[in-house]
Order: sequence, then C-alpha cells, then structure tokens
Amino acid sequence: MSEDEKVGAHGADAGTGGAQEAGGPAFAGGAREADAAAGGAQDAERRRAKEPLSVSRRSLLIGAGGTAALLGLGALRYAGHNPLVRPPGGQDESHLVSACIRCEKCYEACPRGVIVPAHVEDGLLGMRSPALSFDDGWCDFCAQENGGVPLCVATCPTEALALPEGAVAQSTVLGLAVIDEAQCLAFRDTGCRYCYDACVEAGFDAIELSTEGANPQPHVIEDKCVGCGACESVCVSLKAGSIASGATKRAVVVRPLETLE
Amino acid sequence: MKASKIRTVVATVVFAVLCIGLVVGVNLGTLSGFGWNDIAALCPLGAIATMIATKTFVPRAAVSIAIMAVLVFFVGRAFCGWVCPVPVLDRVRGFFRSPKKRRQLEERRRNEMLGIARGEMGAAGASAIDAAAADGGDAATAGDAAPAAAGAAARTGAAQTAGGAAAPAPAPDAAAAAAAPAKHGCASCGGCKQTRKKLDSRHYVLGGALLSTAVFGFPVFCLVCPIGLTFATVLVLWRLFAFGDMTWSVVLVPAVLVAELVFLRKWCTRFCPLAGLMNLVSRFGRTWKPVIDDAKCLETGKKTPCSRCAMACDADINLRHPDYGERTLADCTRCRACVDACPTGAVSMPFTFKKDGATGQAKVVLAKGEESSAR
Repeated sequence: MSEDEKVGAHGADAGTGGAQEAGGPAFAGGAREADAAAGGAQDAERRRAKEPLSVSRRSLLIGAGGTAALLGLGALRYAGHNPLVRPPGGQDESHLVSACIRCEKCYEACPRGVIVPAHVEDGLLGMRSPALSFDDGWCDFCAQENGGVPLCVATCPTEALALPEGAVAQSTVLGLAVIDEAQCLAFRDTGCRYCYDACVEAGFDAIELSTEGANPQPHVIEDKCVGCGACESVCVSLKAGSIASGATKRAVVVRPLETLE
Repeated sequence: MKASKIRTVVATVVFAVLCIGLVVGVNLGTLSGFGWNDIAALCPLGAIATMIATKTFVPRAAVSIAIMAVLVFFVGRAFCGWVCPVPVLDRVRGFFRSPKKRRQLEERRRNEMLGIARGEMGAAGASAIDAAAADGGDAATAGDAAPAAAGAAARTGAAQTAGGAAAPAPAPDAAAAAAAPAKHGCASCGGCKQTRKKLDSRHYVLGGALLSTAVFGFPVFCLVCPIGLTFATVLVLWRLFAFGDMTWSVVLVPAVLVAELVFLRKWCTRFCPLAGLMNLVSRFGRTWKPVIDDAKCLETGKKTPCSRCAMACDADINLRHPDYGERTLADCTRCRACVDACPTGAVSMPFTFKKDGATGQAKVVLAKGEESSAR
C-alpha cells in the first residue's frame, strides 16, 4: 500500500528525520541513536530497498511535519486579514482572533441572523470568525430578545466576544455607516428616506436630512453613529437595480472603523 | 443490529441534529462547543488553546476540560467511536473504493494479523511470518503455544541475520530486543512487535499545535480541525443556498477537509491531536475495556490462529496480541467491533477492567517501552 509510496515520496524527509533524531535526544531511544549514527548511506540503502518506514521514524516524520505545518499556519497571524465589522464584544480584534475557536455558537445564538462566518476573501486568518452582515437585520444588542445583553456575548464559551463592564448599545461602536452618494437614491432626488426612518426608529438619530436639493438627502452624524446597521438593513438601492446599475453594495454600508482612518 | 451500524447511525443523527440546530438557530452549538445557550461543553483542545492564546483563565473552558477529563477517564475515546463525524466520513470514503481494492485491503489485514497470531503462537518462528506476509499461505496452522518471549526472540534473531551489517543491536536485554525489529523498518507492517513509547505521532502533532498557538497567539489547529471543518462545510453550503452567500470558502472548507482525510491516511490513529489529548487521560482508565475470555478464545482455547478482534479494530489495537498493534488499549473507542467480530463470543466489555490475561501483557509491554525510551 502506500507505506511503500511514502518512503518513495518522503525519502529525502527520512534523511532529515535521521538528522533530527541525532539532535533531539528527547525523542530518541537508545536504539534510535545508533540508527541515526549509521548515517545517510543507510537511508539511501533503505530507499532503494523500498522498506517501509519504522514506526518511530514515522511518528517523528508526522510530528515534525505536523508541527511545521501548524507553525506555518500560525504565521498567518502576521498576514492578518481585512478589517471586519465584528459582533458586540469583538471590537478588540487581536483578542477575538486569539480566543475564537470557530465553534459557531454565536451564529446560532443571534436571534436576527446578522452574525455570519467571515469569508476567506477577507483573509485566511479570519475565515469562519464571526462578522456582522446587515442584509436582513441589524444589531440592537438583543434589546427585545434579551434585555440589552447580546446573546452572542452571553453564549460565547471562550469569551472571544466579551463586553466591558456596563457596555451598552449606545456606548459600543461596532462600525460607522457610510453613504455612497453616487448610488444613494436620495441624492437623485427620489425623496428616499428609509435609512433616516430606520435610524430614528432604532433610537440613535445618527442620520440627519439636509434640504439642499428639491428633496431631503441623508447625512451620517459620525459622533452619534454606532454602526448598528439599521440603515443598511433597509436600504433599497440595490433592489432598485435599474437606477443603481453596477453597484455591488448598498448605498449605505456600515464599515469597520479601521478602514476609515 | 451490529454495533458498527448503531455507531454510524448515532454519529450521523448527532451530526444531523446539530446541523439542523446550526441552520435554524436552535443554539445547541456544534461539537466544538456543545450545549444549550450559554451552557456549553467546549472542545477540550479548543479550551486549552484559547486559554494559552489569550493567556487568561476562562472559567467555562476550565470546567469543560475537567468534565471531558472525567468522561475520557471512564469511557476512553468513546467520542471518536460514537460521536465524531470524521470516522463516518472515512467510512463514506470507503464506498468510493472499488470492491477489488476493498478486498485487497481486507485480505492484507487478515494475512498480517494471522501472521502475527501464528508467529506469536510459536508455530515456526520467523518463517511463518515471512510466509504469511508474502502470500498469506497457511504455513503451520497450529502449534504448541510457546511463550511469547521465545517467539519474539526467535524473530529478533532472524531479523538480525536478515538485516546484516546495518543492525548492530548488541544489547541482550528484553527492551533492546523489542526495539530491534523496528530498526529494520518492518514494524509498520505489524509483523513485528511495536516499540512502545509514552508518546506517539499524535502527541507530537498536539505539541506542535499548542506550540504554534503559544507562539502566534491564536488557536491554530482550529483553522484546520476536521470536526470544525465538517460543520463549517454544512454552514457555508447552507448560506450559499439559503442566502446566496457566494464565497470561495464554499470550495476551500470542504477541500481542506477532504485533503486531510485522503492524504493524511489514518487521521484518527496517527494525526488527530484531539485523539492524542484523550489518550493522555484514557491511558489511566480502567473501565469498559474489552477483555478476552481465554477459555473461549480460539487462539488460547483451541490453538487456532484467529485474531479477528485485531482485524476488526478501527483504532489499530491488537486485542489478542497487544504488543503488535499500532496502538494500545488506551486508545480503545469502546466501539465494540471486537465484541461483534469474535466468532466464539469470548470478547466482552465489563465495567471493571481486570488486570489479567492479554490486558496484563499490555501493561508489561508498556512498562518495557517506557524503560527503553527512558534510556
């Protein structure tokens, strides 16, 4: 079976393994040291003879290979990933990355289904970590469902999502809503004001309407916006496709704070 | 109904229920964090990793580790045999093998185990092994059951002559003799005694995972954990079809999972750090381990080579000749395959694990292995 193939494929590795055995007395038993001492000639002989790997040698190969692969994977930490709008309590990005074990409990806990697994396109490191998507709903810190304590934070078993003491929706900035005036229907004098209404209803009053044109146009008040996503969840710019051709995102989008500086 | 079928059904049902919970939002969690709402039993490896990575004490993680340790102490790696979706996926993989290939694999395993049985029963020493390994021919079906030590010694001698100059092996004591066959690289065929060490390849992978977690400060293994990837596959597929969530994750997540199962053969026995972690606790367990009734066993009772318990074991344990299996009873998943496989019903899994017979032998060999690795 593939034991033979393995020797063929990992012939070179076997040599390295032998060298490591000599260097690592922690792993090497008495007999193994003698084996390593016999040196490369013996390895070559073994390759020719296509003998299967010994158990201890295979363990070492798997261990060394596995460790190397996992250390390589760990280096992703330095590669990082694109900033994402995180669920409540996930604003300390480095803590979130450190603590999240991708157990997927927060997706289930969210009563509005706004927590989604991050895409690989935003970086391998963050893949499957929780991000917010305001396509169908917004985050009110579970005011209705759990009295203002987000269920994702309550559920997270590793405390990757953890709010500071006394943190409430008004004091926790998830992101900042940004209006794309090129796509926004209100800036085409349609009189659309869904986002404004949603923001008022959400209780933040972070969008004001200017009256420069014939019809009111929305503007985000940055100091008041907490990135709850109410405006994004009701924006109709993409549905009115004939007007907003070429758009891939809604006209008002909550962006992570890191992208705005 | 055989235990193997029940096991597959149990694991599939658990997986299905958790997946349904995942997509409709019941909040049962996944196997990485199983539980209702904020009560969750965390994956022990994830719990350790998250505490190392954040350098903080997480109460729920610590409690989870304690609970898991107690469970593993009593039922060993039963999680692997009964709940984990990865062995089920591996079984699915078996369906894609041609019947011919499947027969070949079975035949090879059969010959291997019968070879060991014959050798161990002292039929004709090394020649029986060679014959069995070469063509599975029935050289000497039965013989006087010589003491195991004599059989091993005979084979070691043969191996030395065969190995020639490459094998110095001057040490006369038992530990060195047990280690010598491994040096010739023949141990992986199962035809020789295994060199027992306290740690195996999975523990090295576990160490690598924790080292990487400590160095880079995030749970590295969780990114590629096949259990997590199985649930992630369901989640990304669900999101693709239910919400039109198009992302390369839909391709990448299952691809990594399949690659791990296909290219890292025997994942559970050789790679899985979670299995390694459980092994660290289960080795002290004494409960519900399989034992052989020597009076009923064909090999000890009727002197006929059988070893079906060894052929049946998914965890690569040789119950009849424990020192030849790739793993020891510490890795027993309580899957009951050996109980079902035994033609005479000699294998049972009593609550208390008596230290006698074959199991007593395992202890001795383990002790020897420790001796040799300590030197």
